[in-house]
Amino acid sequence: MTATKPDLGTWVGKGIDRVDGPHKVTGSAPYSSDIALPGMLHAVVVTSTIPAGTVTKIDTSALLTLPGVRAVFTHENFPRLNAPPPVLFGEAPVAPMQDGRITFHGQEIAVVVADTPQEATEAARLIEVTYAAEPPLLDPAGGRLETLALSPDTSRGDTEAGWAAADVRVGATYTTPENTNNPLGLMGCVAAWDGDHLEIHDSTQGTNALRTTLAVMFGVPESGVRVHVPYLGGGFGAGLNQWPYKLLAAGAARELGRPVKLMLTRPQMFKLVGHRPSSEHQVRIGAARDGTLTMIEHRATCLSSIDFPAVGLLTSGTPHLYQCPNVATVERTVRLNRRYPTSMRAPGEAEGNWAIETAMDELAHELGMDPLELRLHNLATELDPATGKPWSSNAVIECCRVGAELFGWSRRDPRPSSMREGDLLIGWGMATAGFFAYMPMSQARVTVYADGTAAVRSAATDIGTGTYTIITQLTADLLGLHPQQVDFQLGDSDLPASAHSGGSGLASSLSNAVIDAVSHLQGALLDLAAEDSPLHGLGPDDVVCRDGALCRRDDLSVRVPIADLLAGQSLVEASGDGRLRPPDAAAAGMVHAGAYGARFVEVAIDPMIGRLRVRRVVSVTDGGRILNQKLARSQILGATVGGIGQALFEDTLTDPGTGRVANGTFGDYLVAVNADVPEIEAVFVGEPDRYTPSGTKGIGEIGLVGIAAAIGNAVFHATGRRLRDLPMTIDQLMM
Amino acid sequence: MRAFLYDRPTAVGEAVAAVAADPQAAFLAGGTTQVDLMKDGVWTPDRLVDITRLPLRGILVESQQLKVGALTTMEQLAAEPVVEQRLTFVREALLLGASVQLRNMATIGGNLLQRTRCRYFRDPTVSACNRRSPDSGCAAVDNVARMHAVLGVDERCIALHASDVAVPLIAVEASVLVDGPSGQRRIPLTEFWVRADEGPSIENVLGHGDLITEIDIPLLPQGWRSGYLKVRDRASYEFALTSAAVALQMDGDMIGDIRIALGGVGSVPWRAREAEEMLRGTHVDPVRFEQAGRAVMASAFTVPGTAFKVDLAVRTLSRQLLTMTEASR
Ligand SMILES: Cc1cc2nc3c(=O)[nH]c(=O)nc-3n(C[C@H](O)[C@H](O)[C@H](O)COP(=O)(O)OP(=O)(O)OC[C@H]3O[C@@H](n4cnc5c(N)ncnc54)[C@H](O)[C@@H]3O)c2cc1C
Ligand code: SF4
Repeated sequence: MTATKPDLGTWVGKGIDRVDGPHKVTGSAPYSSDIALPGMLHAVVVTSTIPAGTVTKIDTSALLTLPGVRAVFTHENFPRLNAPPPVLFGEAPVAPMQDGRITFHGQEIAVVVADTPQEATEAARLIEVTYAAEPPLLDPAGGRLETLALSPDTSRGDTEAGWAAADVRVGATYTTPENTNNPLGLMGCVAAWDGDHLEIHDSTQGTNALRTTLAVMFGVPESGVRVHVPYLGGGFGAGLNQWPYKLLAAGAARELGRPVKLMLTRPQMFKLVGHRPSSEHQVRIGAARDGTLTMIEHRATCLSSIDFPAVGLLTSGTPHLYQCPNVATVERTVRLNRRYPTSMRAPGEAEGNWAIETAMDELAHELGMDPLELRLHNLATELDPATGKPWSSNAVIECCRVGAELFGWSRRDPRPSSMREGDLLIGWGMATAGFFAYMPMSQARVTVYADGTAAVRSAATDIGTGTYTIITQLTADLLGLHPQQVDFQLGDSDLPASAHSGGSGLASSLSNAVIDAVSHLQGALLDLAAEDSPLHGLGPDDVVCRDGALCRRDDLSVRVPIADLLAGQSLVEASGDGRLRPPDAAAAGMVHAGAYGARFVEVAIDPMIGRLRVRRVVSVTDGGRILNQKLARSQILGATVGGIGQALFEDTLTDPGTGRVANGTFGDYLVAVNADVPEIEAVFVGEPDRYTPSGTKGIGEIGLVGIAAAIGNAVFHATGRRLRDLPMTIDQLMM
Repeated sequence: MRAFLYDRPTAVGEAVAAVAADPQAAFLAGGTTQVDLMKDGVWTPDRLVDITRLPLRGILVESQQLKVGALTTMEQLAAEPVVEQRLTFVREALLLGASVQLRNMATIGGNLLQRTRCRYFRDPTVSACNRRSPDSGCAAVDNVARMHAVLGVDERCIALHASDVAVPLIAVEASVLVDGPSGQRRIPLTEFWVRADEGPSIENVLGHGDLITEIDIPLLPQGWRSGYLKVRDRASYEFALTSAAVALQMDGDMIGDIRIALGGVGSVPWRAREAEEMLRGTHVDPVRFEQAGRAVMASAFTVPGTAFKVDLAVRTLSRQLLTMTEASR
């Protein structure tokens, strides 16, 4: 990392409007569904109606006589693909349609290609498939437990001793159901080949991983594969993986020698682009009479598919949030004939937090202690309790205190069912939250031009979170320009490689790559300075760009216009390439901290008819340096809405006998609607994080973590009834 | 692409004749049910007869009743001042249904004829559905059932009639005027729908080509009050888990007369006559409210996913009765 702290502050942090906003609201932003290429054909995926077995016959001859139908691909004629390569994150589950094997209900078994989407859809409907069905493995009780790569078992101290030493003990099982990511934008792609060159317009959250995957699986040079995703209608993790539909479109396009467009339908979004798998958590917590934790044990299991494991991370937060000498986590998965899982906003953390923060509330009740006091008493704020090293930043206590103040927590009557309004029971609940630090590699290039404008380029994606805007603001500050003078180009794998938008890692990764790029740009500009230049002999960190000139950092009046530097060498532009760099020595001794939060919620429950309404949410987040107040707040608001959905509504149901998604439409799968969302107060606290020059932390997911537990804890406070299974529905709330 | 013929007649007789002449034809009103089913491949008529140009839109207010053209939209009917004053529960049921966009498309005639939301019915890849293909079985009974019915059903079909507005309409004994191949007739709504336990594949008494032209809604007498309570998981834009439409006339602190219908529970909109009889002429008594509800639900047929609805329906009715008699308690 560059040692010098960047000068940020003119634009960074300001809640400016999205720079891509006008494109979106005028409809001029091209999403993959908007792409139309000359000669383009339309593909529709056909999915299996059994969960396990093989396809013995698909009769395609009749389909080929239907109007407009150009081809039908099945495992018999789809091109052979190489095995999926490992990629940074979100690999392809398997090569699709290589044999007739079926591992889940709803698996891709054929692709119909026609002149129009309507013709392809109708032909797909008429397809006749014969199967040799096998008994499916659908009951978790019958499956073998496996470990998960990202969630190793952890243990410190002696949990049994901690249990024995405890004065007060709680232990219970908590469950979360399958949730489906459901970005509003349907996912899909347009693939077009020119010899061995492939261009694909897709709704991916990461261009480079898709490029690598396509190149390897089709056996073509990576240099000839180009992925475009200038806009994406949301992702929530559904765009992380290299899903079969992309390979199917590319394979069909290659075989037919014409561009092929393949858009998924909403019901297919429930089965072909991943989901948050259901999970079960056994939690035991012990504490001394004064609330000091003596042990935490967290055993969690989630479901995986036969060919593709879940991400896990259910227990990953547990060892780090609270000071406690004895902590053990165990995480397993069971492989069943079920659709592929993936990351969904705050993967694992959202589920694990539900279990742990509900258990903490149970403990507070058993102790007769205020739930907030119990947290404040035990939160680990200086050192990471798992490693004993200092956090690079941790403002979780401040989150709690500020949230309590804004919410008016001190006015809470601790007795359950004590706060009433007519027929309504009022409950106040809270939960703390953490989210792991994750910062995958990104690269960026910053270029300045003689006219004083600048461009930033990176293959990153903006999935609606605001990447376009925050990087524009940051670059404007770094170059001393107005944001309107900075053009950020992204969403194209031919640009400098970037991490995916995922794990709340992109803003930190990319902002530090841009800071590094600007430093190299300063070096490149210095190289252009003639010997008689006042800047001659200075190092890259001794200068800064301001208003189209390169200036001495310690004396901005010593300046040479960039145009002059370029002209002196007959250049029209100069660039600096940068990448995320490992932290310097000072930071290396620290534990890279993720975001923290505290959530405070008020619910009102009509116990007679089980009607629960969330009336108020105060959400306080330690997000390190906030790059744009408005967009950051929007991230928290959106995540809070997702959290309300997780708590009260979202539940992807599966037919027990066939593994079919039972409610895969927006009419049947409930997400929170406007009327379910109350006033949300979203506030940021904390300092820029010390681990990287940008000082940022990821805030795309933390806002969801803790909402479900805070709501559940409020339900207990309102009613005295402890709910441990999400979603908390009317049938559980009738009293 | 699945081709179909599209007609847009301007006279009722033409529309009826067009459908009657073609066994594969169907009427198209607002399309919010019909088009969905066609997209899902559940229902694939060869001919659509668009009735939206027929002169069947509008509300005629008479002294005792409303004559509502079948093509009047849900929003139009809800906006009618007389509905607000004299049929409050009809207005409430309308405005708690669907979304404003849908209500601006959806017609009253189409609403009464909306098809069940059962996901097994609406997914043609599921073979077991007695309603869609007679004698094939019922997938819902063995799988995921929540938005399903518990009254007027048996193991052959537990499909719910999900209309909200039909619930108060059956309580006030509205009727429909039908123009069909064999002429005009009037059908009281109490005789309009066919319970699933009387034959899962027949939903109502209309024959092929029968067109609803008008819905006649009696106004509640002066001095009556009415209200509709809809209980659902989320706060808006969802069908009812249970609902209760109640109209009553208080006689001092006694319930003089009362009409009750329940939604979310029946294979047809459910008139709760037992409850009405138990409450008519009685004092306001929460215990009796609950007993009345229990009497209605006594014949419930449940599967694991719907068992909670029995209790919830009783509570929904009680809550609505309590709300409406609050002043007399
Ligand atoms: C997402 C969604 C949410 C919904 N939520 C609710 C809700 O909460 N509560 C609620 O009550 N409803 C709800 N609905 C249902 C909606 O109210 C009905 O779909 C609508 O009222 C149907 O009216 P339409 O004019 O669109 O009928 P169409 O879809 O055009 O027709 C429906 C059926 O009736 C037939 N038909 C239509 N008019 C006539 C006529 N005059 N004579 C004879 N046959 C006719 C058609 O052939 C077709 O079979 C919802 C619908 C959707 C899609
Ligand atoms: S409940 Fe009725 S509509 Fe649903 S699957 Fe069973 S038979 Fe079909």
